Amino acid sequence: MRLNKLLLLLVPFALLSQEKEKINVFVGFESNSQWYLNDTGLKDEFNLPTSQPENPLRSNSYLFVNFKYKNWTAGIQGEAYEKNALLNLNPKFIGTDVATYFIQYKTEKIDVTAGYFYEQFGSGLLFRSWEDRALGINNALRGGRLIYKPTKFLTFKSIYGQQRTGFDVANSTIYGLDTEITISDLFKFDTTTLSMGLTYVGRDEKTDIENPKFNSLTSAYAGRLSVAHNSFYLSTEFDYKSEDAVVQVTEQIDNNLIKPGSALLLNLGYSKKGFGIDGTFRRLENMGFFSERGAKGNSFNDRIMNFIPSLTKQNHYNLANIYVYQAQPNVILADKDLVKAGEIGGQIDLFYDFKKGTALGGKNGMKLAFNFSNWNALSGTFYIYNPQDYKTDFLGFGKRYFTDYNLELTKKWNSKWQTILSYSNQYYNKKMIQETSGEVTANIVAAEATYKFNATKSIRVVGEHLWADQDKKNWAGGTVEMNLNSKLSFFVSDLYNYGNDTDFLRNHYYNVGGAFRKKATRIALNYGRQRGGLVCVGGVCRFVPESSGLALSLNTSF
Amino acid sequence: MKKFLLLFLIVGLHSYSQKNLPDLNLSTLEGKNISLKNDFAEKDKLYIFSFWASWCAPCINELDEMNEIQAEWKKTINFEVIAVATDDTRTQKRVKPLVSGKEWEYTILLDTNQDFKRALSIVNIPYTIVVKNNKIVHIQNGYVPGNELDLFEKLKTL
Repeated sequence: MRLNKLLLLLVPFALLSQEKEKINVFVGFESNSQWYLNDTGLKDEFNLPTSQPENPLRSNSYLFVNFKYKNWTAGIQGEAYEKNALLNLNPKFIGTDVATYFIQYKTEKIDVTAGYFYEQFGSGLLFRSWEDRALGINNALRGGRLIYKPTKFLTFKSIYGQQRTGFDVANSTIYGLDTEITISDLFKFDTTTLSMGLTYVGRDEKTDIENPKFNSLTSAYAGRLSVAHNSFYLSTEFDYKSEDAVVQVTEQIDNNLIKPGSALLLNLGYSKKGFGIDGTFRRLENMGFFSERGAKGNSFNDRIMNFIPSLTKQNHYNLANIYVYQAQPNVILADKDLVKAGEIGGQIDLFYDFKKGTALGGKNGMKLAFNFSNWNALSGTFYIYNPQDYKTDFLGFGKRYFTDYNLELTKKWNSKWQTILSYSNQYYNKKMIQETSGEVTANIVAAEATYKFNATKSIRVVGEHLWADQDKKNWAGGTVEMNLNSKLSFFVSDLYNYGNDTDFLRNHYYNVGGAFRKKATRIALNYGRQRGGLVCVGGVCRFVPESSGLALSLNTSF
Repeated sequence: MKKFLLLFLIVGLHSYSQKNLPDLNLSTLEGKNISLKNDFAEKDKLYIFSFWASWCAPCINELDEMNEIQAEWKKTINFEVIAVATDDTRTQKRVKPLVSGKEWEYTILLDTNQDFKRALSIVNIPYTIVVKNNKIVHIQNGYVPGNELDLFEKLKTL
C-alpha cells in the first residue's frame, strides 16, 4: 500500500520539524460518520420502510498535511472511506489511501507545482478543478503547473495533467494556458480598473469508436474582460468549445451528432454606500465538458472539467431548497416536447440599507435583499429522428425552466432582538429540468427571530411554510437553536410534508443535534431523518436518498 | 484505517509551533492583487481574517456585528478586519452589491477557488483567524451571537 511508503517519507520531515521556525507543519482533519438505521415510519413512494444499507456504519475521513520550508511547500491528503463511503457518494471512493500530494516552489514571479493541484480559469466555464467534500467532488489535476508573473500587471499560467477520479486518474490528458493582463496597472489608471484574459483548454481522449467523426483533441477558447469605474462595473466572458460528439445519456457517445459548444456571460452592476444592484445574463449551449466524453451526465459529478453553477439565489431556508434549479448546459433530443440544447436567462440582485432614523429604518436600520432569476431553454429547430440535429437561435427563449422571486428583510430591533422575514415564489418545470413530468409553483414564507439573553447565550427560532398545489404539495417546518455559550449549541428541527396526497408519504423529517467547538475544533452530533433529494453546494448538486440515523462529524486543525 | 491514525499521530506530535499565514495571492473586490505574506505585515498589528460567503447567514451576522463595534475597539487596539469571501463564481458577483448594501468597512478578499480556505483546512464557515507578525495566533471555528465580543476581548491578550 502506498501509505507505508508515505509514512517512511514523512519521518525526515517530522524530524526536521523539531527545528522550530524552520519547517512549518500544518494539519487539517475532517471526519463525517453516519450510522444508518432502519426506520419503519419513513416510507418511500412504494410504501416500503427505510432500511439500513449493507455496512450501516460508514464514514468519510480526510487528513491533510502541509509542510512549508522557505519557498517550498509540500502537501499530502489521505482519505478513508470505511466501511464504505456515505450513501450515494461516488462508488470509486473506497478504502483508505493517499488521495493527493504536491510539491510547490513559489517566489514573487514564479510558482511551480508538481503533483495534484487545483486551478480555475476565468469564471470556470471552461476549466475548474476543486474540492467539495460534501458533494464528493475532487477533480484536481495530477501533473504540473507553472505560474509566471513577469510584472505586476501580467500573469501567465500553464497546466498539464490527468484528472483525479476516485483514487485514480481519468483516461485523458488536459492542457491549459491562461493569460491575464491588468491594463489599468499597465497605464496607471486612477479611478478605473480594466483587465482582460485569454484561455485555452485542450482535452485529449482517445476513442474506441471506429471511424470517429470527431477529433481525439477537443479544444476550448475563452476571452474575458472586466471593467470598473467609480460605482459601475461590468464583466463579460465568451467561451467556445470545438466540435465534439454529443453525449445525451451517460456512456453513449453519439458519432452522428457532432456539435460545438459555447457560452456567453455578462455581468453589470452599480454599487454605492447603502445600495447595490447587480444583473447577470448567461447563455449556454452544449457546454458539458468532462475529462472522459462518456462521463457526461453521471450523477456523482465525476470527471467534471468545468464549473457551471446555476445562477439563482442560494437559499438558506430548508423549504426554499426543495425545488432547486440546476444549470442546463446539455443537449437532450428526447421527444418534441422535451428538447434541450442549453439555457438562456439571468438574475438580478438588489441590496438596500434603510438608514437608522428613517421611517422604515427605525432606530437600528433595516436591510433588504431582493433577487429575481429566470431561466429558459434555447429556442431553435430540433430534429429528433434520424439523423438527429439542432440549430439554435442566438437570443431566442424556448420553454421556461425556472423562475424565482425572493425578498428578505433583516431588522435589528435592539441589542437583544433581531428578526428576518423571507418570501419566495418559485416556478419549477419538473419535466424540463428533471426529464420527468409536471410543473410546480411554490410559495415559501420563512420567519426567524434571534433573542440574546446575555453576551453569549442566545436562542434562534425559525418557522417556515411552503405552499404548492402540485407535486408533494404543502410543507411546514421549524427549527429551534439554542446557543448556551460560545462553545455549546443545540438544535431541534422538523420538516413535515402534511399536504401530501398519499397518506403514507406525509413524513416528518425531524432532527436533533448539538455542536461543541473550541478554537479550531468543532464536533457535532445529529440524530434524525434526511429528506431524499438534491444536496447542493455552490449550484452543483448531488442526489441523496432518504435515510435515518445518527451522524457524528469532527473537524480540527493544528 | 489504523495506518491513517498512525500518520495522524506522527504528524500531530511534531506540530505544536505557531503556524505561518500561507503564502498566497488573492484579488480584492476592486481587482487589486494582494499578497497575504507582504500586504498584511505591519509589525505587531492584529489582522482578523473572517471567512464568509454571501449565502452564509451566521457569517453575515458576525460581520454585521463586528462592523458596528469595530470603530470603538480600534481606539485601544491596533487591528484590521479582512473579510475573505469564499464565494465561487455562482455567487461571487453578489459580493460587491452586498458589501455596499451593508456598508461594511472591511478589506474584502476574493477566494474564488478557495485556495486560502483549503490551505487552512477550513471545513465550515464562519471561521475566523487572528494573525500577528505573519503567525496565526488564534482560531475561532464557527460563530454564535456574542462571539464577536469574546474575540475582541481575546485581542487584548494577543
